[in-house]
Formats: sequence, structure tokens, C-alpha cells
Amino acid sequence: MISMMIWKARARAAIAGALLCAAPLAVSAQAPSEDPFGGAVTATDVSGQVKRPAGRRADVDAIQSRYRKILAAWAEGQTARAAVDLMALETSVVTDEDPTTRKQLLKAEQAVIHEVGAANLETLVPIAMLHHETYRRYLAEGARGHAVVLGHARAMTRDLAILYREQSGSEGAALVSSRILTSLGGMLQQAAQQLPAADMFQLAAEMDPRNTAALLGLATVFEKNARYEAAVDALRHLIAADPEHAEGKLRLAVNLHRLGQIQEATTLLQGLTTAPADDWVAALAAQELAGLQREKGNLDGARKVLEAALERFPNDPRFYVQLAAVLDRAGQTRSAQDLMEKVLTVQPAPETAARFLYNTIRDETFQAARRFLDENAQSRLSVLAQALDTPNKASVAVGVAG
Amino acid sequence: MKRLRVSLGLLALSLLATGAARAAVSAQIVSPTADMPIFGKTEVKVAVSATEAVTRVEVFVNGKLVGTATQAPWTVTFEAGDQNVKREIKAVVHAASGATATHSVVTAPVQIDDQLDLRLQQLFVTVTRGQARTLDLGENDFRVYDNGKAQQLITFGRGELPLTAVLLLDTSESMQGERIQAARRGATTFLNGLKDVDEASVVLFSDRLLRATPFVFDKKVLLRALGETEATGGTAVNDFLYMSLKMLEPRVGRRVVILLSDGSDVHSVVPMSEVLWKARTGQAMIYWIQLDESKHRSYVSSWRSVEENDVEYKTLVKAVEESGGRIEKISAIGELEGAFQAILQELREQYVLGYYPSEMKKDGRWHEVKVDVQRSGVRARTRDGYLDF
Repeated sequence: MISMMIWKARARAAIAGALLCAAPLAVSAQAPSEDPFGGAVTATDVSGQVKRPAGRRADVDAIQSRYRKILAAWAEGQTARAAVDLMALETSVVTDEDPTTRKQLLKAEQAVIHEVGAANLETLVPIAMLHHETYRRYLAEGARGHAVVLGHARAMTRDLAILYREQSGSEGAALVSSRILTSLGGMLQQAAQQLPAADMFQLAAEMDPRNTAALLGLATVFEKNARYEAAVDALRHLIAADPEHAEGKLRLAVNLHRLGQIQEATTLLQGLTTAPADDWVAALAAQELAGLQREKGNLDGARKVLEAALERFPNDPRFYVQLAAVLDRAGQTRSAQDLMEKVLTVQPAPETAARFLYNTIRDETFQAARRFLDENAQSRLSVLAQALDTPNKASVAVGVAG
Repeated sequence: MKRLRVSLGLLALSLLATGAARAAVSAQIVSPTADMPIFGKTEVKVAVSATEAVTRVEVFVNGKLVGTATQAPWTVTFEAGDQNVKREIKAVVHAASGATATHSVVTAPVQIDDQLDLRLQQLFVTVTRGQARTLDLGENDFRVYDNGKAQQLITFGRGELPLTAVLLLDTSESMQGERIQAARRGATTFLNGLKDVDEASVVLFSDRLLRATPFVFDKKVLLRALGETEATGGTAVNDFLYMSLKMLEPRVGRRVVILLSDGSDVHSVVPMSEVLWKARTGQAMIYWIQLDESKHRSYVSSWRSVEENDVEYKTLVKAVEESGGRIEKISAIGELEGAFQAILQELREQYVLGYYPSEMKKDGRWHEVKVDVQRSGVRARTRDGYLDF
């Protein structure tokens, strides 16, 4: 299990980095040689005191200028243009062949962020969402040959979220930052980057312990890595935050079953088969409950569960097959055979099968978090525009296009 | 409990000599006998006994005259066709005095008959020498052992027994593009190679059942089922392999599942151990055309750990091998069509050995089966055994 201690230590490092940004003049002389954020926004040159090689000043200035224009476009609500321009800028500066090129980009973006952030801390939210959107687009396009810039976009989003949370210190900031990290974790999970995704979910859950999407995401990562005790721990937190969370209960039951905690698993599954729940959750609960009864040797119990499920899901071939297997074991081969004849007359349901959904990272898990972010980023665009001294003409949603 | 239900019609010989008592002439159909199906060109041999001259022997099939012999040997050849139907073969012997004698043999299609519970074990045996199949063996060339004890063969045949097949095709997302097109071509080749007496069902699956036909003879129905289907979703091999074996259970004769998949089950609710059990209690063979460059890669899902998935994979391999089928590994998609053809050809060239096990206790225990061929340098492959139910 990823220890809470490790996470707290990392969070403390993040806080330290954020403070560096808050008071660059005072601490720049003591700035650590190694950036606790991994080199995103914490190393500071906003005071101008960091010395650069003479020949590179113009480059950094040019990057800063382009970045500022991109932020302005973003503040005006030109979502696609801003994201595309930022991608063009970043990929023109950073190459995989020379990872040190990222430093140049970082310093330039940092300088602008410190400037507008100093004007108004709330600008960090829409800026984080710009990098979030850029990361989403990199992933969607495959980002082949741009691994460094992909990592940069992710680090910028994460570090801006942490920075905002730590600089603000408010509960509201914690909610916003937690959801930025949750959304980022969801994208990482969909890109099959399980452990970085777990990092994001864990940080998000620490910022907001009632963030059910983050807790669910965290549990699914643990589950896929066969860390069932850790999954159970995350799911118990989830149920504590939302006692009616049906998917959370289902996953908790499945993982308790794996850990041999049959009684609690059975109780949870029985509750899900009788209470109103999404079809896919109820279907899976019935399948798992029947499987559990079957394992216990209670073939009659398994049969009853499956027969009840067939009344609710008469077009789900899987229940016919599962029930046939139970009846076969009970020696009722003729009845099992009858089911095989019936299954051929079933019109298979067009919707995605429940077991597929359970094993899939679903956008729905993160939709609420992303809607919340859209609203929050939108409301802060005028602040960003002001900070950039740009008229605010925002009219489109930011952050989670697509 | 697994029982082989054999039609009385297949085993019983109907001897109906009518009219012979009054005349000094009698007839008996020597061949075909009633204990084997009749298809294609069939020779009817009639033994005639008469105290006077015999002018002709007429042979009728289902009441229709199919040929007349006017001299000994009293033999008539006719085309029985490929239909798996009941046939009454009747020979009528005409003597010079006008006296007649008749004898009939009734054959019947393979069917379920609950009244007769015979636990005939049928073994479908592929015999090879090197890469080539050996096709000239006779009944006496085989020795069958059941739990180490030699068994007496009751039936013996080769190749041309009707086939009942389930074409179980994985159409999950990993089959997108050229793969699904090649799968369709291969399956079409297989279906077109079936004879009129062969039955098949087409089952397309991913993480769910996408399409399934009942068992039909009509190739048009089967080919239509192969039509455009989008390759989408995950994979649930276990569930639909179990379903296929269960569908084959009440059928008799040569039963086979042709599975086309990479074999990476993710979404099944039925564990592969249950499929193995089902394969052991049945008599169907499983042939697995394994895609994905013949390599099994470990993987993880929300349902099973890497280790658990590896166990599932190994159990599938075991089920295939124990059933007497085999894995046809495909390293390039272009080999698919040939793989289907090769399996069909193999099925056509199998020996079929039937025996009543000398010791059946219905105790659910495993019976190990071994087939030896009394010829040097050849190798026989058949199912490893069965569960005594």
C-alpha cells in the first residue's frame, strides 16, 4: 500500500516549494538545487535574479511573450486556439533528444505565472486548466516523439493545482485543486499510467477527503494492481463520504470477497441486488453474489440469486450461462440445457456489458469533477484577463473540452 | 451426470421377413447393417436362398425403387445422398414361379432417446506419422485402454461421420480491421466445407454475446450470421466456451468447438475451471485457433491478477488438449483461412472408436484413456479421458 506517510511528506515538500514562489525575493538565495516539484513552477526567476547564459535571454523573452499571448487568448475564451498555440510553442522549444530544453520553457512560463499569480492568486486556476487541456490534447494525439513535453504539461497542471491550494489555504481552493488532480488522475488512468494516476488521486483525496471520484479512482488502481487491502481502505473512505455510493459498495464487496471477508461482502451484495442501483451495478452484484454462494457450495442459493436476476435482466445471456453452470453442478443438466435453448432466442442487449464497465475507466467517474472545474475556471477568466491587462471576452467553457 | 443417449434405431436391426414362409425362397440384406449411418454411394448386398430360379432382386429405399439385380451376386448400388434421415431399405426377391420374399433394414438418423442409456465412449483419434496423417488403419490396429484396462471396440469408423460444430468467434476490439475480415473468410471456408449432413452454429462474442444461431444444416443461415459485425468490447472466452460446450451436450456423434481468439479472457463470470469440468464431462473436442502471434502475454484486469489470469490461460490450454482437440497457432493473419481448412480436413480424417467402458461407477472420477496403434512410427491423439458421471 502506498503509505499515507509518504504522501504527507510529499505534500509537505509541495508546500515548501509553493512558499518559495510566494516570496521569491526572500528565499531565492536559499532555493534548493533540486526542485521539490520535479522542476515545474517552483524554481523561481520572477525576481530576475537568476542568472542565465547571455545568449539565451532573447529566447526566453520570446517564449514569455508567446505564452502571455496564449494566456490572453485563453482568458478570452478561445479554448482551442490557446491550447493549440501552447502545444505549438512547447513542442517548438522542447525536444525528446535534449530534455534540458524543458528548463528553458519552464523558466519562461514560470516568469509569466509568477507575474500574474502575484497580481491575483485566482489566476492560477484558469492557467492550470489551460495546461490540463493541453495535456488532454497531447494524450488524444498520441504525443509521439514528445514524451518530455507531455510530462511537462502534466507537471505544470499538477504543480499549479498544489500551488493554488497551498497559497490560498482556503477550503474552496482545496476543493478546486483536488478536482484538478482528480481529473488529471483520470486521464492518466485512461492512458494506462496506473501509478502516476494513483499519485494524483491520493493527493486529491488528501486535499478533499470527501472527493469520491478520487477515492474511487484510487481504489480501482489498487484493485488492478492486486493490492486489495489498499483498495478496501480507499473504498471504506469512499463509503464513509457517500454511504449510498453503489459502485463503491460493489467494489468494496468484490475486494472483501477476495480477502476472504465473505460475510460483509455477502451483506453488501445482497443490499445492491435489492436496492435501486444502476443496472450494471445491480447485474454485477447478482453475478458476484451467485459466484460467492457457488463457492460456498450453496448451489441452491446461487440458483435463487440468478433466477431473480433473470427476471430483471431477461436479455442478458451471461445470466443464462452462469445459471446453467450452477444447475449443471447441481445435476440438473436438463434444466441447464433448457437455458441454452432459451439463450439462443434472446435478443442480446446492445448496451455495454456490466463486467466490461467494471474493468473500464469511465468518463462518468470524473464528469462531476470536470464540470466543477469548468465552472470555477470560467468564473476566473476575467481575473486572468485583468492580470494580463487583457479585455475579458470569455464565452466558452474551458478546461475540459471534449 | 453425463450419459450418451443413443437411438434405438441405430442399434437395432429390424428383421422383417415377410412372405418367405409360403415360398421356398428367402432373402436377407447383408449390407448395409443398421448400426451405421448411410450416406453417399451405398451398396446393398442381398443373400438369396431359393429352391427354384430367381429372376430378379429389387431394392427399394423408403418405398422407391432404386435398382434391380437380375443375377448373382445380388447387389444393387444407389446414391443415398447426404441427408441424416431415417431410411427403410427393402429387398424383394422374385422367383420364377411368382413367389416373393422380402427383407427390410431400417436405419435412423442420430437422435436423442431417453429410454436407452448407453454410456458408449466415443474417441475421435487423429493418427499421424510425422506431419502426415495415417489413413489406412483398420479396427485391429487400435488398442484402447480405459484406466489401464484394455477395452473391446464396439464401433469403428473413419472420417465421414456427421459433424456438429460450434464456430465460436471472438469479435472483441482486438479483432478490429484485417483480423475480423480474415476471421470471416476463414469461417466461411470452414462452413462451405461442411457437408449437408453436418450441422453447425455460429456464435460471435466479445465481452458479451453478439450473435448466435441454433444448430442448422443450412449454410446460408450460418454464412449470414458471419455478416458485418463491429469488433468491439472486451473478451469473455470462458462464458461462451462453456455455452458452446453446453449447446453441444445433447448432440451425439462428432462434436467440436472451433474457437478463434487470442484467449485472453478478461470479462467472464464463469471460471475456466468450470469450462474444463464441462469439457471433461462431455465428449466435444475443442480446437483453438490462437491469434496474437502465438504468444501468451500476462496481463492484469480489475477481475483477476496476473497470476490468476495465467492460471486461466493454462486451464484453457489444458481443456483443449484433454478434449482431443489442439491449438492451431497463427503467427500471421494470412494463415487463418488455412487453419480453418486444416482443422476441417483433420476432422474428416479422424478414426472413430466406440467402446463401453468395462468399469463405470458414476462416481465422478477421472478415467484416463489411452489409444495405442499397432504400427511403428505413428502417433495417435485423442481425448485424455473423461469424468465418470
